[in-house]
Formats: sequence, C-alpha cells, structure tokens
Amino acid sequence: MTTSLARRKFLIASAAGTALIGAPAFIRNASAAKDFKIGMFYAIAGPAANLFGPTQKACAELAVEQINARGGILGRRVQLLFANGDAAVADATKSAVRMLLEDKVDFFLGSHNSAVREALVATIKARVPYVYTPIYEGGECSPNTYVIADTPRQQMETVLPWLHKKAGYKSVYLIGNDYVWPQVTNKYAKGIFKKLGVSVLGEEYVPLGAPNKFEEAVTRIKGAGPGLVLITLVGGDNVNFNRTFAGFGLDKNILRVSSLLEENTLLGIGAESSNGLYGCMSYYSSVDTPAHRAFKTAYRKKYGDKAPILGLIGVDTYAGVKFVEAVVTKAKANAAAKVKSAANGITFASATGTMTMRNRHVDKDMYLAECKGTEFQIVETFSNVKSGQTCA
Amino acid sequence: MDPLLVTQALNVLYEVVTLAVIVLGLAIVFGLLGVMNLAHGEFIALGAYVAYVCQSHGLPYLAAVPAAIAACALLALPVERFLIRPLYDRPFDTLLATWGLSLFMRKAIEIGFGGGYKSLKIPVSDSVLVLGTPFPAYRLLLMALCAALIAALLLWYRRSVAGARVKAMVGNRELAQAVGIRTDRLARDTFVVGLCFAGLAGVMVAPLVSVQPYMGLDYVLRSFFVLVVGGLGSPLGLLSGAAAIGGVESAMSALVDRTAGYSTVLLIAIFFLWRRPHGIFGRS
Amino acid sequence: MNTWVFDFEDVTGGYGGSVVVRGLTGAVAAGQALCVLGRNGVGKSTLLRLLHGFLPLARGSVRFAGRDLAGLDPARRTALGVSFAPQERIVFDDLTVRENLTLMRPGHPLAALAPYFARFPRLAERLGQHAGTLSGGERKLLSLLRVLAEDRPVALLDEPSEGVQSESVRQMATLIGERKAAGAAFVIVEQNLELVEAVADRYLILDQGRTVQAGDRSTLRRAELVAHLRV
Repeated sequence: MTTSLARRKFLIASAAGTALIGAPAFIRNASAAKDFKIGMFYAIAGPAANLFGPTQKACAELAVEQINARGGILGRRVQLLFANGDAAVADATKSAVRMLLEDKVDFFLGSHNSAVREALVATIKARVPYVYTPIYEGGECSPNTYVIADTPRQQMETVLPWLHKKAGYKSVYLIGNDYVWPQVTNKYAKGIFKKLGVSVLGEEYVPLGAPNKFEEAVTRIKGAGPGLVLITLVGGDNVNFNRTFAGFGLDKNILRVSSLLEENTLLGIGAESSNGLYGCMSYYSSVDTPAHRAFKTAYRKKYGDKAPILGLIGVDTYAGVKFVEAVVTKAKANAAAKVKSAANGITFASATGTMTMRNRHVDKDMYLAECKGTEFQIVETFSNVKSGQTCA
Repeated sequence: MDPLLVTQALNVLYEVVTLAVIVLGLAIVFGLLGVMNLAHGEFIALGAYVAYVCQSHGLPYLAAVPAAIAACALLALPVERFLIRPLYDRPFDTLLATWGLSLFMRKAIEIGFGGGYKSLKIPVSDSVLVLGTPFPAYRLLLMALCAALIAALLLWYRRSVAGARVKAMVGNRELAQAVGIRTDRLARDTFVVGLCFAGLAGVMVAPLVSVQPYMGLDYVLRSFFVLVVGGLGSPLGLLSGAAAIGGVESAMSALVDRTAGYSTVLLIAIFFLWRRPHGIFGRS
Repeated sequence: MNTWVFDFEDVTGGYGGSVVVRGLTGAVAAGQALCVLGRNGVGKSTLLRLLHGFLPLARGSVRFAGRDLAGLDPARRTALGVSFAPQERIVFDDLTVRENLTLMRPGHPLAALAPYFARFPRLAERLGQHAGTLSGGERKLLSLLRVLAEDRPVALLDEPSEGVQSESVRQMATLIGERKAAGAAFVIVEQNLELVEAVADRYLILDQGRTVQAGDRSTLRRAELVAHLRV
C-alpha cells in the first residue's frame, strides 16, 4: 500500500515534468485526480465515424483547449474521456457505466443517434448531468438532460414558409430514411404545409443503413410532379438521392429542401447536382459572423491544413463543451438541482456566436442556405428561433 | 406508352446490367478459382477513386479506364502471390485473408483521401429521348457499355483459346498441367483480370454514386445474392442472378417501395439457399 | 552405351509422407516402348505421376534426353517434350472434342490428324460435342489421340486401353507402333496383354512398389505376365 502510494506520487511528479500528450494513459489518469472530466460519446467507429467523427472530436478539443487556457472549470483542468457513440446500444451502455463508476466523470456529452441517447439516459439515471448536441427530432425531457440540437420546429418553421413565399410551391413530396427523426420532422412539416395550403403528393421512407438506389423513387417523384421535395435522408442516401434527382433532370423544375445537408454531404452531391437545393440549420461553415471568423481562425491554427471539414454535427460539440463550462461555472457545482436552475436562460458561446438555453433546449439563430455549387450561400438569417420544446 | 412506365422499365434494365458488371469480377474469381474475395467491393472503390483522381487532374474520363486497370493489376499481383496463392483450396482461410485485405484497403483509402464524400462530374450529362421520354444519357451509355462488356467477355470465354484454357484449368487442373498449361500463372492472370473488372465497374458507376472509403460494402452483399441465385461458374447464371436480384429489387421498388424490394430479394436469396443451393444453372 | 531419350533411376516416392514405390529404375530409347506391368495397386500409376512431377521424388532422378527434370513442374516437363495421359479424368469434359485436341496448338489444322480420325471415325463425327458426353472408351481414344497429336519425343500413358473395345485396342497398338517407327518413345502402364505384346520393347514388372522383373522383348514370357497380372 505504502509502496503503491509512493509510486503514485513519483508518477505524478514525473508526469508533471513530462510532455503530457505523449505520456501513457495510466500516468495521465494518475495526474488527473482533480480534473473536471467530461465523458464524451461520438462517432469513433461505425457508419458515421468517417464522416463526423474527426470534426466532433476536433471541435470539442478546441473548446477544451480554450477553457483550460483560461484556467479550466472552477479552477479544474478539463479533460475529455472518449467512448464510441456510433456503437450498438449495449456497448454504449457499458462505456457509460465504466465512465460513471471507474472514471467518475462530472458531465456527459453525447453526439450520436437517439437510440443511444435513450440508452444513456436510462443508464446515467440523472446521477450526472448529460448534454446532447446533434440535430434531432425533439422530445427529450428526461431529468438532468440538456439539448443543444436543432429541432424540427427550428428547421421547418423557417425554411418552408420562406420558400413558399419566395417560390410559391403548391405541392410537396416527402422522402426520408425510415427512422424516428425523419418521421417526426415530416409530421411537423405536414402541419406547416397544411397551414400554407400545400398538398402532400407522396411520402416514402427507405431503410436506414442499406445501400439504397433512387432511380425508382425519382421516377415516381417525376410522375407526381411536386413543386418541392422535402428530403430527410441522411449521409450516403442523401448524396445518392440528390445525384439521381439531378441526373434525371428534375432539379430544373423542382425545389429541394434537405434537413441534414452539411458540408460533407454537399461535397458528395457535387456542384452539378445541387441546383435548387436548400437547407436550414444553425450552422454552415460559410456563415459570416465575427465570432465565427475567430472560431475558424482558432480551428485552423490548432489543426492546420489537414483540419477535418467543419459542419453542424461537429461544431455542436464545441457548443456542448462551452455549455458545460458556462453552466457549471454559474452553478458552482455539477449537482443536478443547481445545474438545472443555472441552465435556464444561460447564454454560452457557439461556433458562430452565442446560444441561449431555455427549457433545457436552445433557442438559436438559424441560417437558410441555398446551394451554389458545393458552397452554402446564406440567403436569410432567422434570429433566436425558439426550439419549440417545453421541458419542465 | 406511359412515359413513367418506360422510365421504370429502363430503371429495371439499368439495375440488372450494372449489377451484372459489378458482380462480374467476383464471379470470375469465385466461379473460376473458388476464391471468395471479400475485398471485391474495395477494388470497386479503388476504381472509383482512380476515376476521381483522374477527373480532379482534368483528364478525360476515359483515361480512368486504363489507370484503374493498372492500379488494380498492380495491387492484385502481390495480393495473389502472397495472400491468395498460399491459400488456394482453403476457402475459409481465403475468406479471412480477403476480409483483412478489405479492412486494410478501406483504411488506406481513408488515410489517402479522407473519410468524406467525393463527387465526380457525370461525363455525359444530357438526356436522350427513349420512346418519347427523356432518360439520362450517361445511364443509357453505361447500360450499353455494360451489355457490350458482358457480351465480349462471354464471347471470349466461349470462343477464344485462352477462354478454353481457363475452362480446362477450372474443370481439370491436373490434366491442364499435363497438357502444358502453367496453371499457377493462368490462375494468377484470371485473378488479376477479375479484380481489374471490379476496378472497371468502379470507374463506370463512380459518377452516379457516393464515392467514399466504405462504398465497397454497398456492393458486397448484393453481389453475393447474385451468386447465390445464379450459381457459380456459368455466365448464364451470372446474368440470371443479376436479373433476379437487380430486376426484382428494382421492379418492387418501382411498384411498391425500397423496403419491399429488399424483402423480396432477401426471400429469393433464402429460397435459393434452401431449395436450390447451386443456383438456377449451377451444377452440384 | 545406349542413349536413352527418357530414363529414371532409383525412383522412390508416394503420396504425402508415405512411400509407395521404391528404387525403380528404367529407360527407353527413341522408337521404343517401356511397358510397366503389375496388379492393381502395386504403384504403377504412382510411378508415372512421380515421373511427370505431379508427386515429389523422395529419392532418385528422372531425365529427359539426358537432362535432369528435378524441380520442373508437370507443365514444364510437357513443354520440354514429355506428354502425359493420366488414368483418371483423362479429358476436359467441358470442352469439345475439337478443343481437347487443339487446346495447346491454336491454329493448328485438324486435317493433320486425318490419319488418326480414319482409324477412329466415331471421334471424327463428334468433334463439336463436349467430351463429357463421350463413352468411357471414346474418352480413352480421345486421350490417346491428344497425346499423339502433341507429337512429342516421349509419351507417358496410364492404361490407355482400359475399357476400350478389342478392335480399337488393336488400332491403338498399330498407331503406337507407327509413332515408334517415327522415333517416338513411350512409357506405358498397361494390363492388356495384347497391347503389351504388340508394342513393348522393354518391360518392368512391379509388385508392392518394387521391381520384381525387368528386361527386353526377348525375355518377355506370356505365362509369367499372366501370373503377375492376375488380380
């Protein structure tokens, strides 16, 4: 016992004199007894890993670096511990248990799908606060859980009426992947279409995670002849659909709105297939604000030319870490009740400016972008759009 | 004629012939050499990335054809010599080895090109009127090329001396050696040609799909279904397999939706594994 | 000293680790046939497979025209000048009769084989047919014809007359005799006495993988042969 304690002190002492980055993990753990630990779930390995993983990690680490440069959270150095959020629910649950019991993390941060989120909520059981960052369908009101994400209301209530006013589409066709986010988004959108007097000509869902082809669906859409197509496909399906859509020449007459259209996806869709394609999210890398310029400078300085491409899913982990800093600093603790009261109405930094949390969701500025080649051109900014979520 | 019906019929045809070309390389190495190549999809990806490199350097799209063949051949040669040749007649080991190769290739592509999507410009972007309804020209061209490629390969296999020697090697390896065929070289060449066909398929479909390091996975499962239905070692089987899998999936997707397409294809594959494990034309 | 076109010395080997034949020695000169005789299972086919490189030698050597063939695979031995006709799976079932005959000689006119076809008209009628559809005897004829058409200095034949009608066996013997006269050498594993008596210049009788008797035509005795060939 004494020997191991002595050894521990020796390790801490030597670790202090060593470059921490290169030090083995056990030394870092030993030296980090008082660190503020954030258990972060992101796409380390899995279908979303190659697209989003690097940016999710890079943005979170940039935030941590900035916080530590100013002295950490409540004087404690911030440390990120990582686990795979693009994993099976059972594996994510195991990681969460380990982080709770062994690492004793102070906060959880998650950027992953809703199935994993529900499993994590059930595992954490509100013992530690948990912030969920990526775009989602809404409805998460579990205790001690906070959400940064864009919601269907924030996306749909902005772009659909705006485009209707501008282009006057009379009918719409809905296509998405077959899971909860597209279905909830479409349900919300159909409410808006009803108010606008727009008729829904068709609604179809393709399996998630299958190598889908879209020739048949595009031909169906061509036959239906809508003024607008609302796309809630993700990743490769979003790319393939839009390329097929333009390949069949439908982009000449039919407008498209895609709900999860970030920089990588647009690169895949390509310049010749992006004509008449719109999106509305709280982040595009082309947003031009002073805060965003500073963010991008810091990001490039840290990661250089090989920096992962910036996009919504990635930068929301930055906002997530900044939220943790703001709320714990204000609450002076991470106890559930204190964090909850500190969270309501708190303003914290995001990549493009600031966000304000209300009812454990975020009211935020939304940007309406029109695709010009493989660039997003911001054509309208909607300030402080309500999340539409009312968690008690 | 109903223009939508024409388009959907063309879609079905398109799916069938492109699928046949995608499976071609796999069918060659599996049907002729008994090598189950799990890295087949990654060679398709390699072809697609070579096309991407060619296009981003401003070369005409056709330049990607020899470039992809060269790249696939350069990689396939050492793979055959050091990975496949020691494992002939050990199907399970080959399966593991090529699976490892596929992981390696995916990672290598990701390191070289990043994990994100690449998009290729469609070489021919016009539409052509077919029975009065417009259809994308590149897809039509692709269908013609695929059909020509398959026909040429079939003809070569049936008529040429080299084709007869391959058939001789497959049917009776020892006698083939006895009559003077260097079967190790012929097997190597066959393997390389099979993988070059995979690369070629990659070049052909690259402008129409999402090009990313994991794209190969999209092709493997469906290719195996085609072989399950079509059986091995018969070009006719390959075509009928592609027609059954691609055609039915496309037709069901047109009539109902994608989910119905997948379910039907899955049922067909299960039926064949259960009742006709050697496929439509396969021999036991 | 005789100049052998094909000879082997102390040939020992078998399948895997087991030794099937031991210390076999034999030779043929151009224009001669060496017949290897013995009951079923004494190692005759194993000897031929060792001679053509399908099985590795545990000991001994094989020479073609004085050149040691060690380290050469079957295809190379064939290319050098030694044809081989196996006992089983003797033709390419998936190829036509014509392809079976011309596989390694593209562009070679079949007309050159007319004298052979004259003796075996049934094959000539079936040129476009897949070899897999032929009867057992017809395949044997096709196999022999393939070797003769290859026209190499040495041919190793494994039971060429097995399952062949006696009239056709006589035709086979005549053909082999003609090729011998033209200078070709043969090593023939055979059980058919009629064929052996017709073509053998030298012989080797095996039992349990060893030579029990060897000699030339002058010492070949029918009674002994019969005794050794009884199954």
